[in-house]
Parts: sequence; structure tokens; C-alpha cells
Amino acid sequence: MSKELDTLLVPLHVSYIQNLGKNKDDLMYHLTAHLRMNAIYWGLTALCTMNHRDALDRDEMVEYVMSCWDEEAGGFGAHPDHDAHILSTLSAIQILLTQDAIDRLDIDRVVKFILSLQQPSGVFAGDSFGEIDTRFSYIAVNALSLLGRLGDLDADKTVGYIVQCRNFDGGFGSRVGAESHAAQVFVCCAALTILDKLDEIDTPTLSWWLAERQLPNGGLNGRPEKLEDVCYSFWVLASLSMLKKVHYINSDKLTSFILSAQDPEGGGIADRPGDMVDVFHTHFGVAGLSILGYPGLVDLDPVYCMPAALIEKMGLRKGWQALERRAG
Amino acid sequence: MAALKVHPKVYWIWNHRGWCLNNVPSGPGTEDEGDPRGWEKDLWNKRVVCVLAWSYRRVVLASMPIPRPETSELAYTTRKIEANFSNFSAWHQRSKVLLSLWSKGELDPKNSREDEFDLVHDAMYTDPKDQSVWIYHPLARWFRSACFLPLSIQNSRDIQGDDKEILEREITIIQSLLDEEPDSKWCMESLVHYKSLLLRNHSLSANTSTLRRECIALLKQLREVDSGRKARYDEIELELAKS
Repeated sequence: MSKELDTLLVPLHVSYIQNLGKNKDDLMYHLTAHLRMNAIYWGLTALCTMNHRDALDRDEMVEYVMSCWDEEAGGFGAHPDHDAHILSTLSAIQILLTQDAIDRLDIDRVVKFILSLQQPSGVFAGDSFGEIDTRFSYIAVNALSLLGRLGDLDADKTVGYIVQCRNFDGGFGSRVGAESHAAQVFVCCAALTILDKLDEIDTPTLSWWLAERQLPNGGLNGRPEKLEDVCYSFWVLASLSMLKKVHYINSDKLTSFILSAQDPEGGGIADRPGDMVDVFHTHFGVAGLSILGYPGLVDLDPVYCMPAALIEKMGLRKGWQALERRAG
Repeated sequence: MAALKVHPKVYWIWNHRGWCLNNVPSGPGTEDEGDPRGWEKDLWNKRVVCVLAWSYRRVVLASMPIPRPETSELAYTTRKIEANFSNFSAWHQRSKVLLSLWSKGELDPKNSREDEFDLVHDAMYTDPKDQSVWIYHPLARWFRSACFLPLSIQNSRDIQGDDKEILEREITIIQSLLDEEPDSKWCMESLVHYKSLLLRNHSLSANTSTLRRECIALLKQLREVDSGRKARYDEIELELAKS
């Protein structure tokens, strides 16, 4: 690793995120329109974790979020005039809460939209077109919890489906029968954590499987015999923090791996060293470093993937454990 | 179909194909949907380790008008595993098919478990460094995780009764592999696991002080060959001291 990549280049990453929204003539801006709302959430949360929450204009962001409201469906699209989807709806809720603008939201309608996506089996669909996935179950549970409306959810039915997705290796898949994958492990662990059903998890087996995601170069993969990727730093570490086993991962090696995937010129973090950076990997790289106690970062709640202080203030903190924050 | 060949990792394309399968009367492309094995022609063979392709395979299998017997799916995963032991998706699919066959009483758990051990031993000896097989191997772990099995199987003496015998046999087989591959972390890790199970569940009939000593020695070696996961091995040793 070159010398300049042994620290987190916070000012560069902040300016990288600030510049993302500025190049609207750029082709990539339009190709990623379907992820715009998520991208804003990733950017904002990464900024909060780096203690630069105000680097993006709050009012402009809130207005953009509100311009993505789908009046017919009662949820948010990823971009103005896109159909509502549960993914962008959660991101919108997270942004509005982080920016202290939740009073702009018609909570009853959003709750109705989310609940309408639950299928008879207990799993959630992403939108009215019906793709189902345990990711969407987590999103529904997360959103309803953030809105203080978990009581409206049929929790037993929701948990019932997630438990059916559990595999012999202790992990979880995207739907019944699907194989374990670190990101699906995260969503299922987090949903069960929010619903106080962590006892449904086979902790010794799952924490073993998660610990084996770390490769000799320090990076984490999502499944056995696959390549490392910075985003798994979050999926794996967040799951381990809910199981109180973050120490199963070699923190120094993973920290070095994440830092080595930074772009020392333009800022941002890539999936692995030398690749193109993007806001998704920037956010999940910084999030992983926060869980590892990297100096100078702000605590991130691994269950909701939002600033820990905000979740604590809302009375939603669960019993997760991250590594202690190191002095700089 | 064309889009999938170029972008096999995009969830939504698979999802759309699944939707077509269930909603378009005779499509999509009647060319191969009747029998998922038709996939082997091109895409399937190239993408046989793609998790989304396996996921779609389950959609196809579930939607076939005349359900395909699960025993033939089991045979299919055997072929895939024998062609390439490092195919975690195939091992996974196998676990699902086996559980289903056992719970329906269509396959005798005792006999088929022996077949599983044979397959696993072949894989272990072929490539002792491959993770897939070591994660699949703890069948004993799996049999014992009550929550994964229907009640009828959980209570079966076939599974619980000769537990000790199986543990001891597996320990012997893995030990001889470790003798050939003295640095194999997976052998050591598995030995610690099975020896701990013996200690925990058969403490009356097992030689506990020898087992404990052997586990501690293996954990010491593991901390050397797999230092990144040292904290986990420390924790296992602490648990051992408590048992």
C-alpha cells in the first residue's frame, strides 16, 4: 500500500460526495437515476459518519426528497416521476429523519403503502410489481420502526418468513431455498434484531461463517470462495456487531484493505483497490471503519445504518457492540 | 435471455424472467423451460456458480406443471459437485433437497447421510483448501441443529442415536487428512469442532481430559496458521475451560 493510503482521506471524500450532484450533464448521472434517492442517503450518511453532516445543502436535499413523492402510491420513487418503491421510500425516511424534517411526511400514507407490500407468505415485495426478497422485509421493518409504527406490522408473520430462509450454515438467503449471502445475512439479522427475535439465530454457526468471510488480504467476501469487496465490510461487520462478535475479524487488516481502496486523487472508495470509486462503496467503507473504531469517525448504528446518536435519541437502540473508538 | 447472458448478476432481469415464466402462457422461450437441464446448453454451464442463476432454477422447478422428482435434482447436484467440488451453490441446493426428501419420508435419512459423508470425504481429499466442502461438512452440526429439521426427523433415533460413533469416525478421517496436510486449517478447525461436540454431549463415555488437551493443542496451532481469526480461537478455548 502506498504511504498516502494509510489514513482515511476525509476532506477528499467530503468533496467527492459534494461534487456528485453537480455533474448533471454526466452520462453516469442519468444512468443511475433509479438509485438517486439511495445515493443521497449513502452520501449523507457517509458525511454524518465523517462528522461533516452539513457539507450538503439541507433544504435543497429535503426539497428533492419531497419531489420524489408518488402521490398515487403513497411512497417515494428514486427520482421525480418514478414509481414508488420500498427501497427509495426507506432512504427518503432516513434522509428526512437525519435532516430533522420528518414533519414533511404523511406518515399514515407511507405506513399504508409499506404494509400493502406484505405478501400472504409474510415476505415483502419491493413495489406493486411484486419482486420479493428478505431485503424488502428488513426495509419494511426498519421503516416502520423509524416511524414508530412497528405495532401496525404482523411481526409473527414477518419473522416466520425470515426464519424459513435460514440455512444449514447459519446464514440467510433472499427467499426460501436461496443460499446464504453476507448482505442477506445482514438484512435478516437486522430485521430480527429490531423485532427482538435474535434468539432465532444460530449464533455460533453464523458467527463462524461470518468470520470466514475475511480473506488473507484483509478484505471480506460475501460467500465462500468469492472475491473481497469493500461493501461486505459493512454487511459482515454490522451482522457481527449484532451478534457481539466484531472481534472475530482482524481489524487492522480490514482497515488497511478499506483504506487501500480509496482514490487518493479524486476521493471516494471503490469495491477494491484500483477500481472506480462510487458513493455506495464510499458509504459502506466508511461505515465499516466506524464499526472498527477508526479514530475521528462518528458512531453509526449498524442495525438501522444511521447515526447512532439519532437512533439512541429516538429510543430505538438495540444491544449491538462495535469496537471501541480509538484515539487519533 | 440475451440480457442475462451479458448481465448475469442483475437481480431485476432474473426477476422479470421469473415473472414471464409465471405469467406468459407459453413463454418465455419454450426452448428450455420444461426441463431446467436444458439450461446446460450454454448459459447454465457458464454460470453454474452464479447465485442468481441457482435462485432462478428454484423458481423454474417450483413452477413446472408436472413437478420434477426431487431425487433427480439431488442427482443433478451430485453431477455438478463431482464436476467441481468448489461449487457452494450446488452444495447449498443439495442441503435443501435432502431436507425436503427426508421430511417427506421419500429418502431414508440414515442411508443417505452415509452417501453424503462419502461425497464430502471425496471432496475433502480432492481439495482440502476449498471452503465449500468444509462449511458443508458439519452434517453432524446440521443434524443436531434442531430448528432446521421437522419434528419427525429431530426425534428420530436414526439421527441422534449413533451420533457418537459418527463423530468419532469423522474425527479419525479428518485426522488422517491432517497427517497428510499438516498445515490444513480446515482440518484443525473441524477437529476442534467435533472433539468439542464429543466433550459436550458424551462426557460420560469419552476421555475428557485427553480430548480437552488435544483441542487446546489444535487451537494453539490454529492461532499460528490462521492468526487473523485468533480472537475466535481464544474464545473457543475459554468455552472449553468452562465445559
